[in-house]
Amino acid sequence: MKYRVRHRTLYRYDEPVDLAAHMLHLLPRVLPGQRVLRAVLDAAPAPSRVVDGQDHFGNAVRWLFLDRPHERFSVTLRAEVEVGFAPPPAASPDWESVAEAARIGGPRGWQAAEFACPSPLAPADPAAGAYARASFPPGRPVLDGLRELARRIHEDFAFRPGQTTIHTPVGRVLELRAGVCQDFAHLMIAGLRALGLPARYVSGYLRTHPPPGRAPLRGADQSHAWVGCWLGPELGWVDLDPTNDLVVGCEHVVLGWGRDYADVSPLRGVILGGGAHRVEVGVDLVAA
Amino acid sequence: MAPPIDETIDGAGRPWPHWQALLAAVNGLGAGGLAGRAARLDQALAEEGPAGLLPGAASRGWRPDPVPLLLPAAEFRTLAAGLAQRARLLEAALADLHGPCRLLASGVLPPALVYADPRFLRCGALGGGPMLGACAADLLRGEDGRWSVLADLTGVAGGIGYVLQNRRLLARVLPEAFAAVPPCPLDPFFAAWRRALHDLAPAGVAPVRPPVLALLGAGTASAHWFEHMTLARELGAVLVEGGDLTVRDGALFLKTLRGLRPVDVLLRRVAGRALDPLELDAASGAGVAGLLDAVRGGRVRLVNHPGSALAAALGPWLSALCPLLLGEALLLDSAAAGHRASLAPTLGAAGLEPRPFVLRLFLIRDGAGWRVLPGGLARLAGGERIGKDVWVPDEGAAEAQPQPDAPAAPVAARLALDRSTGDLPSRIADDLFWLGRYVERLDSAARLIRAAAARLSRGAEGLAIIGRCLDDAELIAGPATAPTLFAAAGGPVAGLIGEIARLTDRVRDRLTADMHAILTRSLGRARHDAAGPRDADALGHAMAGVRLFCTTLAGLAAENMVRGGGWLFLELGRRIERARAVAAELAAALDGSGPREAGLRLALELCDSAITYRGRYRDVVQPAPVLDLVLADPGNPRGLAFQLVAMHALLEDLGGDDGREMPALVAGLLAELEILVERVEAAPDAAVAALPAELRRIAELLDGLSERIARRYFALLPAAHSLGAPGLRGAA
Repeated sequence: MKYRVRHRTLYRYDEPVDLAAHMLHLLPRVLPGQRVLRAVLDAAPAPSRVVDGQDHFGNAVRWLFLDRPHERFSVTLRAEVEVGFAPPPAASPDWESVAEAARIGGPRGWQAAEFACPSPLAPADPAAGAYARASFPPGRPVLDGLRELARRIHEDFAFRPGQTTIHTPVGRVLELRAGVCQDFAHLMIAGLRALGLPARYVSGYLRTHPPPGRAPLRGADQSHAWVGCWLGPELGWVDLDPTNDLVVGCEHVVLGWGRDYADVSPLRGVILGGGAHRVEVGVDLVAA
Repeated sequence: MAPPIDETIDGAGRPWPHWQALLAAVNGLGAGGLAGRAARLDQALAEEGPAGLLPGAASRGWRPDPVPLLLPAAEFRTLAAGLAQRARLLEAALADLHGPCRLLASGVLPPALVYADPRFLRCGALGGGPMLGACAADLLRGEDGRWSVLADLTGVAGGIGYVLQNRRLLARVLPEAFAAVPPCPLDPFFAAWRRALHDLAPAGVAPVRPPVLALLGAGTASAHWFEHMTLARELGAVLVEGGDLTVRDGALFLKTLRGLRPVDVLLRRVAGRALDPLELDAASGAGVAGLLDAVRGGRVRLVNHPGSALAAALGPWLSALCPLLLGEALLLDSAAAGHRASLAPTLGAAGLEPRPFVLRLFLIRDGAGWRVLPGGLARLAGGERIGKDVWVPDEGAAEAQPQPDAPAAPVAARLALDRSTGDLPSRIADDLFWLGRYVERLDSAARLIRAAAARLSRGAEGLAIIGRCLDDAELIAGPATAPTLFAAAGGPVAGLIGEIARLTDRVRDRLTADMHAILTRSLGRARHDAAGPRDADALGHAMAGVRLFCTTLAGLAAENMVRGGGWLFLELGRRIERARAVAAELAAALDGSGPREAGLRLALELCDSAITYRGRYRDVVQPAPVLDLVLADPGNPRGLAFQLVAMHALLEDLGGDDGREMPALVAGLLAELEILVERVEAAPDAAVAALPAELRRIAELLDGLSERIARRYFALLPAAHSLGAPGLRGAA
């Protein structure tokens, strides 16, 4: 499935910003299952210095430095991506053996093991763990448990923008029984980590308009987040979207992944000045 | 269970000869003995040590015990070799964990050891040299007599500044001990460190200009700033905090009065995750956004790299890792649990007692190898912050240490002569300016209160006017009475003293140790004076004491601070404040409804100019001579013209591209004063009546000038905000 992506972020500042430094996770990753045909990042005003690199997780990173006063700052990604992620396997090992493989690490599990460790926004929260555990009775195949957990989050939690922020802890999301895709992803990850299962935070996009006859998808007009889940050394990773109860197939485009939102914030920065600021984000992901 | 080892006794139960010599020297001390020397040590510490000038600032850092810990030279050599090997091993492990990750991939290390440790940072390998440049280790000697390592300190290896402090204090207070057991000197180590840091600068810098070394601390409010200051001085580094630095175009700069000055090597003494709010901890104000980019780009070298602290977690694994990474057996083991530390003689309430301690040794990367300081800190186990100086008896131990080849003399560019402000961070200039203003403000306050107190019992005229001056200066509210004056001394005056103490602490690294010691003593007295008085006479005396403090500070600055440096701003602050005070007080004195002569006499008194006047004009008090003396005579240090002349010279010295306007403004004011006096000569009554308004206008102009100076020189940059990342500030 080929998509054209357009993602624009605009910051408006009350007072001039004298100096700004930004770090972007806005270039889609090349993956088995995702080809990046074209990707261009434009920034205005033009930065005085641009550096490209890769972060610890292998995501493409761009640093932008602006040293002239400005009152608006915008970044626009235009990309063409072809996705076709493999369908999930029919069978999977029991979840306890996957947790064990992560704990041991070694040649077959050391990289996945990182994602079983707590991270600031997705710690091994006991309440989240209790919630998740209901989907993981002893001996259950891990993929079955994961799919059920995603479905339960989709059913039990209301999609409600505005009630939470990027600081809202997982425990609070559980109390509210509401949030946005970022919260559901953190909740699912925290729950899985409490069980010893590796889970990663995947940042990307969801197609704006669903195929005909399908209900509209949540999180389609902003950057989206879902959960990468590990099925053990043999089967590797599969992505599940708890906000929409989907296995990621050909309706998602991946930007990158990390332990939680903070590792892959699409656009973060440090500005001198600015006063109060407002953000506008617009995303279009249309079939091409 | 075997008893803990006594350091003074050898394996065969006999006292060590060098300990015997030391204990003999200590026990043979004259009057007061060791306790007396300890008291002197405490006093020296109070005056020159980490304690700030602010009351209640609990003494930070470690208090020295007067008895040093002796570490036999042969033992030191063994420990040095073991620590150098550990440092090489930790570096190799860090390089792997931030690179190929073979230790994890092969299963030698469990993943959670690294990935669940908050000290593991995910900014990746920064390149440009090793991750570790300076570290330390805490060791103890167990019951079996062997040393083992309790902790490797590879992030910020704190404590070396206290080693320097202890050694210096002990040398002054206990020369007998030095004579008995001369210790290895510490200077060669620091000289080598200076050279090593100099050589670390990016290629291409040294032939053009001397490399700039900066030490990044967390500011004067941090618990370790005293150590940072000591270390910065020893290494010839500029002591900076996050706000003094900025990254432009991929390079690191220090914000100084003369603009941005490049920084080539940064010795960081803040946590790794605090170094770059753009990539790491977004809430950190202690770092600089873009620092990691500058390091990756090779424009600045960092000691130590962020993430180096993780090595401390590897202690239990080192005996397995050493053969793998270095092909050697581990020389110095990591401590197993349950060992009891050895005992060293320490001064207690009843004389010397054996107390358990932990030994901290320090090492630095020196060229291709590691060099260990022949000294250190022996910290007493258990809560008290007492550290003993560590002595390695000088038996040629320093030379016997495996040394990398002596480096060739550094290739340095010829230095151009520089008589300017040098690398003065704008923040310091700002602090010195306000220190000058506050000292003058305190002097004014004390002068006015003293003048008022002297009139209280006499019911003399002028009390109302002085009261008005005090009210204008916000020292009292309402008329000048005994209660309001006492309240002024205890409240606002004490407050000003507190501000001065705070500012002096902030600029402490610009003051010599002597200056600081003298200031501590006089500030203590001033504070005591301000708090005490019970009657008008005592109040007058107390304020005289406070004025003495102000004079001391001004004199110290004049005699000890280089003119081209921060002194300029200290002096500028003082002159502006004094000029302001003179203008405001004269306006009040001449505004009174009483007889004009009384107002003129008061004007002379307020400007400390009565004696000079009498010398020139005897007892005849007339408007023109009085006002000429206090307003326009450039030779009267308490008059207005003198301040303006001084300000004019200072502003011209500061210069700069747009520096013409401010001196011109001051020159204009000087001309105005001449005209005002001429008017008084021509038509005394009318001119004197019009003076108060003119003087108040001048006072306002001076306020405006102060603001312009601040805007022009103190780089009032707005606060930094973080966007798009979970941080404590800003955040979208």
